[in-house]
Amino acid sequence: MRALCWEGVNDLRVQTVPDPEIVNPHDVILRITMSTTCGSDLHFIDGYVPSMLPGDVIGHEFMGVVEDAGSEVKKVKKGDRVVVPSFVACGDCWYCQHDLYSLCDNTNPNAEVQAPLLGYPTGACFGYTHAFGGYAGSHAQYMRVPHADVGCFQVPEGLRDEQVLFLSDAAPTGYMGADFCDIQPGDIVAVWGCGGVGLMAQQSALLLGAERVIAIDRFPERLKMARDHIGSETINYAETPDVLAILHEMTGGRGPDACIDAVGMEAHGTGPGYLYDKAMQTLRLVTDRGQALRQAIMAVRKGGTLSVLGVYGVMDKFPIGVIMNKGLTVRSAQQHGQHYLPRLLEHAVKGELDPSYLATHRFSLEDGPRAYQMFKNKEDGLVRAVFTP
Amino acid sequence: MDVGSPLGGPATSGIADALKGALPGGTGKASQEQRRVTLILGGVLLTLGLRRVSFGGAALALAGGALLYRELSRQSGQAGAETHMAEVTRSITIGKSAAELYRFWREGGHLPRVMGHFAEITETDMDQAHWTVRVPGGRSLSWDTRVVESRPGELVSWQSLPGTELPNRGEVHFRPAPGDRGTEVTLRLHFQPPGGTLGAAAARALNGLVPSLLVGDALRRFKSLVETGEIPTLDRNPSARASTA
Ligand SMILES: [Zn+2]
Ligand SMILES: [Zn+2]
Repeated sequence: MRALCWEGVNDLRVQTVPDPEIVNPHDVILRITMSTTCGSDLHFIDGYVPSMLPGDVIGHEFMGVVEDAGSEVKKVKKGDRVVVPSFVACGDCWYCQHDLYSLCDNTNPNAEVQAPLLGYPTGACFGYTHAFGGYAGSHAQYMRVPHADVGCFQVPEGLRDEQVLFLSDAAPTGYMGADFCDIQPGDIVAVWGCGGVGLMAQQSALLLGAERVIAIDRFPERLKMARDHIGSETINYAETPDVLAILHEMTGGRGPDACIDAVGMEAHGTGPGYLYDKAMQTLRLVTDRGQALRQAIMAVRKGGTLSVLGVYGVMDKFPIGVIMNKGLTVRSAQQHGQHYLPRLLEHAVKGELDPSYLATHRFSLEDGPRAYQMFKNKEDGLVRAVFTP
Repeated sequence: MDVGSPLGGPATSGIADALKGALPGGTGKASQEQRRVTLILGGVLLTLGLRRVSFGGAALALAGGALLYRELSRQSGQAGAETHMAEVTRSITIGKSAAELYRFWREGGHLPRVMGHFAEITETDMDQAHWTVRVPGGRSLSWDTRVVESRPGELVSWQSLPGTELPNRGEVHFRPAPGDRGTEVTLRLHFQPPGGTLGAAAARALNGLVPSLLVGDALRRFKSLVETGEIPTLDRNPSARASTA
């Protein structure tokens, strides 16, 4: 089959690779119908996140049709149209049974390699480095999905592919970020980042009852998307000297009740702090540029919630004193998609959640390298590149 | 990579040859023994490391080779009788009762799969098993073990029968975990590497390198197998790499 492979830092190539096979009894083989780029892919494409190997098939946000099923697969069958969260979960371990699916104990074959980095290993994520399992990803014609009964969610009739695709990763991640904020009537939620996850976090905050949502980004077309599709108020940080002062005024001096970081380790920013981060990261002295996260920590009201969805490594200059003195609650996770998908599909069926506008650009799989180039540079207003193999 | 030959595969022999080439030359008896021990232990460490075809595994494999090589080439006048055991202990919590886990370990025939990343195991009866560890260069190391103690719901311990090149023993303990967490399982392996200075060096190398790979992996494999009915694997993972084709 054909697949988009990581061959080295900033070197993606479409290659012919062996077809996936059923190896374990709970596996299915999925024929991919749609797959999309994700901002967190950029971290290993750029080499900031290690443990990719040349030849790895990338991609973790996808949907497809079940082509073949292992002997122990009970809930899905050949021909089913399904959407699958990007983290692989077994459904049987203590973490899965407590709805903490991305922390699954039983799906990462490289758990012993990852454990020293985090203390304890996480579950596996498709197409996202060997520390996160090393499973081949979704930018391919077919893929193997282990623990299919836990990961595969049937798509209800009447929903188009692009309405469902983003329920694989961007939507559950954003929804989880809003859910972490424990939103109460009257709450104002600020979201850093208007990529797929940021936009989904904004929409989810409103679905969960937020009074107002404020979005912060630097690309006018993304901010317009937040206003037009969601109804967020927006701040373009590239055009204003002081985001904190603006947020202060917009919230009557209280600050947002909750702040969601949907940016992560390659944040952009302005001023000397950003230049310092950028220099340190370029020299590989730190893994992260923490502009967005630090700003969110400063902005959130006293006793408020900080919800971190961005992908981070080991950050220096982390303002724990601000968190401590302001009595903040910090919540974070890789997405527990299996917990949120039934709810998200319900929202989609009722017409309350339609992320299809994120699919700004379509490509064939063969155009993968060019699509990622445009995605990385946000050329032509590209929010998400969608592949139809 | 073949499930049945976890330590085989084309990726490993090149490294083993490189290691062999890096060793001091000579045809004397000491040199031969040195080479033999290095091939056995270095080979095990390297292949365990390389099986984890990733940054940590590669680093570990290289460290294994380098450490072993350094220890071996030092050859200072240490006491030849110093042959302490290499002992590694790791614990994991599994969401099943101690009685169930004991039964899985004793009666399920699961051991060959649990240890499949390290050794091929043939269970000759409930108390005896034959272990084979392949090392690069087409060689293999094997031994028989016998269960020496077995207390239902508590522990199983075994040891190798006399006459092997790498005497070893092991034990697994089961202890109820608090709340709804299941059972705390502790696996302990002891290796008695060949005697003398080389043995001491090998023991130190084993002490430093084997735990996370061998014992930790074995426990995780056991846990996944009993909790989910399968062991997570990248076997036949599609990629544009020749070694997995
Ligand atoms: Zn993603
Ligand atoms: Zn699990």
